[in-house]
Amino acid sequence: MNTGNLYHESELVSLLKQRHEHAFNYLYDHYSGSLYSVIVSIVPNRELANDLLQEVFVKIWRQIATYDNEKGRLFTWMLNVARNASIDAVRSKNYQQNQQNRELTENIYEEGGSVQMNTDKIGLRKIVYKLKDEYRVLVELSYFEGYTQDEISKMLKIPLGTVKTRLRSALIQLKQVIKP
Amino acid sequence: MDIHAYIESGIIESYVLSLTSTEESVEVEKFRTEYVEVEAAIAEFSQALEQHAFENAIIPPPELKAKVLAAIKEARGVEEPTTAMAPQTEKSFVVPLHQTTSWRMIAAASVILFIVSAAANFYLYQQYRNKEDDYEALLSQRETLQAKNDVYHTQLKEWQSAAAMMADTGMAMIKMASAKGKDDAATVFWDKRNKDVFVMVNKLPEPQVGKQYQLWAMVDGQPVDAGILDLSCTSVCKMKNVPRAQAFAITLEREGGNKIPNLKALFVIGNV
Repeated sequence: MNTGNLYHESELVSLLKQRHEHAFNYLYDHYSGSLYSVIVSIVPNRELANDLLQEVFVKIWRQIATYDNEKGRLFTWMLNVARNASIDAVRSKNYQQNQQNRELTENIYEEGGSVQMNTDKIGLRKIVYKLKDEYRVLVELSYFEGYTQDEISKMLKIPLGTVKTRLRSALIQLKQVIKP
Repeated sequence: MDIHAYIESGIIESYVLSLTSTEESVEVEKFRTEYVEVEAAIAEFSQALEQHAFENAIIPPPELKAKVLAAIKEARGVEEPTTAMAPQTEKSFVVPLHQTTSWRMIAAASVILFIVSAAANFYLYQQYRNKEDDYEALLSQRETLQAKNDVYHTQLKEWQSAAAMMADTGMAMIKMASAKGKDDAATVFWDKRNKDVFVMVNKLPEPQVGKQYQLWAMVDGQPVDAGILDLSCTSVCKMKNVPRAQAFAITLEREGGNKIPNLKALFVIGNV
């Protein structure tokens, strides 16, 4: 990740909080790819993903003042902004309706793969996809779809405690894979 | 408490990925200040996550950057007018400078235009005045010509009627010559049918002021008034009806005429 690092993270954050456009420009150049992969791992529609990337950066710009570098890394904070925005978009009524329409049309026309991405092969989801089914479904529902553990417990009819421990085990496995 | 067991439980990963409940988050944040290991574990997973994301980055379409930067500019313009001071002052130096020069240019141009326009107006007014004078002169000239034309026209008509009278076989023409051997001459046309008398002055001196020529008909040796020659009569003038006469004569009398002719002022005379 230290490729072409011009700013130290705290320096970058400080400049962003002072509304330096150069710093924002750098932020985009440096983080857009990784944030875009977070978005497209949740949102298969490319057009929507593009809109979301813009929305996410605007959110970052607007909410940078609320970011506290004592609590975590800048990327982690931005990752969660991107993830939440993507989940909100996928869960929106509008998107759901579009999906239904798409499913209907897909029966007639083979939709080109250029617009729809296979989210299973992107970023963290690629790793999660390889986990055991009982783990995978929990990470899918919580991390990629934004359901609370309580909701998942009710959906899958599994006790909340089991949901919690299985999810944590899944995340430990995930960490083992991504650990450098 | 066994902090290593806590760290190994997966709570750290859950926390970093925002999958913890509020109570769990409060707990992690409490421990991270108390245990260096917790802080280190958070940092380690965060870095691993970040590195993985960078290694699996997907480059967004290049045209997106301009859109994002434009959206930022817009967002900035809406919420933070004060933070954008630096570039604004830069602009505020440029814009008014342009404005003053352009205003100065416009002012100078308008003054020049005004002077040119005033000069043009003066010139055109002079021209107008000259033309108006010319026009007035032409107008009076035309009126003079018209008046003269009217005169000639009347004279022509009179000459035409005189010519008609001369040609008329029912009309007796009596030529009157000077009684004093001068070249004074006048002609009487006497209609034999209705006895109307017309006189044509061929040549008589201009009468003095207060005097008029008077035509007389000599009837049996006695002069009879046949009318006064009007001053306005320039060619053939209708006189009084004369039923019988042996001769006609013109004398110069006082204005309005006399009952008896002043024979000393006999100008022309002619026998029928």
